[in-house]
Amino acid sequence: MLQGTLYDGTSAYPYDVRVEIGGNAIILTRDSGWSDRIESAHLARLDGGPSGLRLGQRKNPGWRLLLPIEAAPQVEALLGRSERYGRWIDQVGLVPALVIGGAITAAVVALGYVAPHWIAPHVPMSWERNVGSAMIGDFGDLRCRNAEGQRALEALVERVAPGATRGPDAIKLAALDVPAFNAAALPGGYIVVFKPAITESSPDALAGILAHEVAHVRRRHVTEALIRELGIGALIRLFAGDIGADAEQIVSLSYTRGNEAQADSDAIAMLARADISPRPTAELFSQLSKEAGENRGYAAEFLQSHPLSARRAQKFAAAFDPRRAYTPALDRAQADVLFNICWKRPVKEH
Amino acid sequence: MDAATSPAAVERRGIEFTGNWREYLPIAATNALLIVCTLGVYRFWASARQRRYLWSRTHVIDDCLEWTGTGKEMFLGFLIVIAVLAPFFLFIQFLFPALIARGKMEAASGILFLFYIAIFYLVGVARFRALRYRLSRSWWHGIRGGSNDPGWNYGGEYLGRLVLAVMTLWIVYPWAATRLWNSRWKAMSFGQLEFRANLTAEGLKGRWAMVYLVPLGMLAVVAMIFAIGATFAVTYGGDKSPGFAAFVIALFLLFYLAIPLMTLNWYAAFYRKAAGGLTLGDLEFGFDATTWEWLKLVLGTLGLIVVTLGFGLTYVGYRNWAFMVRHLHLYGTIDVGDLAQSTTRAPLEAEGWADAFDVGAI
Repeated sequence: MLQGTLYDGTSAYPYDVRVEIGGNAIILTRDSGWSDRIESAHLARLDGGPSGLRLGQRKNPGWRLLLPIEAAPQVEALLGRSERYGRWIDQVGLVPALVIGGAITAAVVALGYVAPHWIAPHVPMSWERNVGSAMIGDFGDLRCRNAEGQRALEALVERVAPGATRGPDAIKLAALDVPAFNAAALPGGYIVVFKPAITESSPDALAGILAHEVAHVRRRHVTEALIRELGIGALIRLFAGDIGADAEQIVSLSYTRGNEAQADSDAIAMLARADISPRPTAELFSQLSKEAGENRGYAAEFLQSHPLSARRAQKFAAAFDPRRAYTPALDRAQADVLFNICWKRPVKEH
Repeated sequence: MDAATSPAAVERRGIEFTGNWREYLPIAATNALLIVCTLGVYRFWASARQRRYLWSRTHVIDDCLEWTGTGKEMFLGFLIVIAVLAPFFLFIQFLFPALIARGKMEAASGILFLFYIAIFYLVGVARFRALRYRLSRSWWHGIRGGSNDPGWNYGGEYLGRLVLAVMTLWIVYPWAATRLWNSRWKAMSFGQLEFRANLTAEGLKGRWAMVYLVPLGMLAVVAMIFAIGATFAVTYGGDKSPGFAAFVIALFLLFYLAIPLMTLNWYAAFYRKAAGGLTLGDLEFGFDATTWEWLKLVLGTLGLIVVTLGFGLTYVGYRNWAFMVRHLHLYGTIDVGDLAQSTTRAPLEAEGWADAFDVGAI
């Protein structure tokens, strides 16, 4: 016979009760003659701390029976052990649960990272165009609307990728009057170039950058990055606690290292086909990565979306063939027109 | 050592923490492992386990507290809130860049403004509902707490008072914070007893002024030293850069030390006064943590995290709870025969809102 304390769930008053544990029930009695019998099926073990045991009743939320710690063996025989890690994990055991959980986690992350690479080529270009035009539009006042400059920009892309600006899957080019050195491929076949990338680099180097972005579009890297962002990125952000913290995330898609390397190789091949020297691109890359060390801000923007390394510059430099006769990417007149693409005044009399 | 922690005083304390870090270690370690191995999904169960431990090691008068919230309900609560918020966030996430890309800056900033208003409102609701949820899952003597108020009005009050605070460069914040504290707690109950809160900004205004005056004073002193230094540099043709470096360091100290320290100093007083003005039936509360003790808690936690290479993160909840209970006092009496069961409805979505916005309950 044990002594226990009973809370009946209607008031906080602690009743002293005698407790008998036997068969598949608990029998409570009081000096007043009151008694109660609770089947083990209605009882649940609760965490009572080191000093005692605590039982609850499933159908009576406030009902509590407090027992001395000596009753532990009897209570365990009646109700089993108390829940520890959670019901599922208690059933399989901690170590198997960790192994299974770890394997599933690894698989989900791997799939989230790899799957977009398989899915991207099968996403119809028309879908991507719809997403792109919904997201991007015409850039409003940010866009440099100089018609001749626009033609020169398109001519430059046509030099490295003939036919790229025509047809149903045409790449849409836009120069933006944004004070940052950057260029990016966006969903739906858009390539944007910021003003300093035009005015601060030679047409040959710009051809290298544009070829790189064209490769991202053609290889569906943009689609891939978009899927990756919406899939695993969203999942991780969801359970990491904050959702929607970064509204700008969609435009600043990030590519995998493999994608970047592939786009570089494609760009080098495109430059070679067009007889444009890869050296100015190499020089620009090494200059930008050097500037990143000293003077952040300017190059930082570009580096965020295009992780540059001396290695990448070397790759372009190594593609230079001294015996070959390279031609300029644009003739002098076109280069001047392109330079002035964001100039608000008409450039005719120039 | 102050009187509150001396053995003789512990005997008479109405509330005390009986846990210790060694006993908690198995829970902390397995929680950390399971969270990592489940992409973070286990964190709801981890938090339920942590609270079951902390509550059961908190002795109030003659019995310990009990936490009955479950990981499952917190997980479901989170999913419910995500299901409500996700379409909203996705819409903004696409609409906002789309408007920017079309050069519609005014429309974009208008949307962003409305978005922030909505977030502000929901953060208020989240705070209220987190407190309500915690009380509804906290039991003592077989009795639980709760609230009949769903908190939607509190969200509006929160938004209004904080907008006013922002418009006055946070100068009226002590009034806003104290009134919000009162509104929140007055809506709460334990058993059939309702909490009463009568916190006023009286005695808190001076400390709030320090949040402004101390950094400004420091800035003035730094500017003076810089000016004197520059004069010397010009007079003796020395190098100017040491003066400039000192100026930058001083600015750094200003923003990373003075403002948070002064804010902490204010909060220490706020919580002492807030607890002092809180009553439940004939029970009165008290809280005695000083700014220095708060600072030791914060620095101790940071140090622990650094020294244990991040594992200390699993002890943040433990340390905060232990700190709170160790500095909390209960005075007066409670007639357990008169304390009847709560009739409030327990919220369904657990802490989903608070979780989504990462806000606490107290």
